[in-house]
Amino acid sequence: MVPTFKDMHRFVLVVAAFVAVSLAGSPALAHLDAADRYTHNACPATAANRVDPVNVVFRTWGTWRRAESQIVSHTGWTATSGTTQSFADHGGCFPMHAQRASGHGPRFHVRWRGQHPDEALGWTATASAHHEDNVLFPLPCGHAVDSNGPGGSGFDQGRNELERRFTSAGHSAYRVWWGNTQSFKQCDGDYAASDGWTAFIEVHQVNH
Amino acid sequence: MGRFAVGILALPLLVVGGSAGAGTSPETFPLYWVGERVDGLPLAASLRRDDTARYVSFVYGDCEARSDAGCAPPAEIQVWPSCLRNLALYDDPQASVGRPPERISVRGVPAAFFDDGTRLELETEGSTIVVFAGSRGGALTIAAALRSLDDSVAAGHPFPARRKGVSQKEGVQSC
Repeated sequence: MVPTFKDMHRFVLVVAAFVAVSLAGSPALAHLDAADRYTHNACPATAANRVDPVNVVFRTWGTWRRAESQIVSHTGWTATSGTTQSFADHGGCFPMHAQRASGHGPRFHVRWRGQHPDEALGWTATASAHHEDNVLFPLPCGHAVDSNGPGGSGFDQGRNELERRFTSAGHSAYRVWWGNTQSFKQCDGDYAASDGWTAFIEVHQVNH
Repeated sequence: MGRFAVGILALPLLVVGGSAGAGTSPETFPLYWVGERVDGLPLAASLRRDDTARYVSFVYGDCEARSDAGCAPPAEIQVWPSCLRNLALYDDPQASVGRPPERISVRGVPAAFFDDGTRLELETEGSTIVVFAGSRGGALTIAAALRSLDDSVAAGHPFPARRKGVSQKEGVQSC
């Protein structure tokens, strides 16, 4: 039986409707999810297992691999030592993709995970950056994020350093208020907290 | 971070903002806390920041931090000058990407939940009170118990509201 014009028209309508439903169904997930603005030492993510504030978002071409390439290129941070942390995204909880640090003693340290692409921001990766000391006195306890001083807390210093290195290399950056200022106790007994501002740093398509 | 000794003896120092390593300028915004204990959690630390952020913090309960892994105390109250931190900051769409804050009213003042109910911000006259807790219920319990450090506002009573005619953004600019 040869399909009539009416059959063809109906077929086209069905295909068009299917495509429309498919496209309409996906945008719910197509955004950066900042409902949870902290990293976690385990999954599922809870308020009790928070470790660090998220204070950097790599955007535009911010896949985790490009973020890695450009972090190493612009900072020279190549050490990979550090504990594994997890990031929350759209109700799930997932291990970080990578971490880099400026050394093994007192150092800058950043962990990150690639997240959902976002209609406005492009490919994104969320990151937690900080500066930490290797505490030896009065009791050796290991790495502790700096409590705050004139330059802010260790979290603020880590964000500032990343932002400075990237902008010096021509990447654009701006800050957004996220308010994730919860204090975190460190192994030396001090507390450190973000000042609540997150740096949105452009990552371009070309790997270095 | 400026850290105060814990306990009643520290409170006069806190009111005037003076303590070893904690800076010397007096706070010019009203302070709120819940006393020496809340929801079974003892006051563990009182902190003061005056650098890239400015607030007084009361930390309740303890947690075990390890090398390269800090930990989140069970509850914390931060009090910021409302000219630096208020709900208008969340008007920027990127401030709440993916999850707009849930706006409510608590004890007669505007408030909003963030982070799945584990952060509650209350906008009072002169101060923004930020409550961190393990759950929405925990945050509301703390909010109900808040009282001013100078005893002018008792627990459970209405907070003084931000003056009408002063917009939030104007407040930030005049800080």
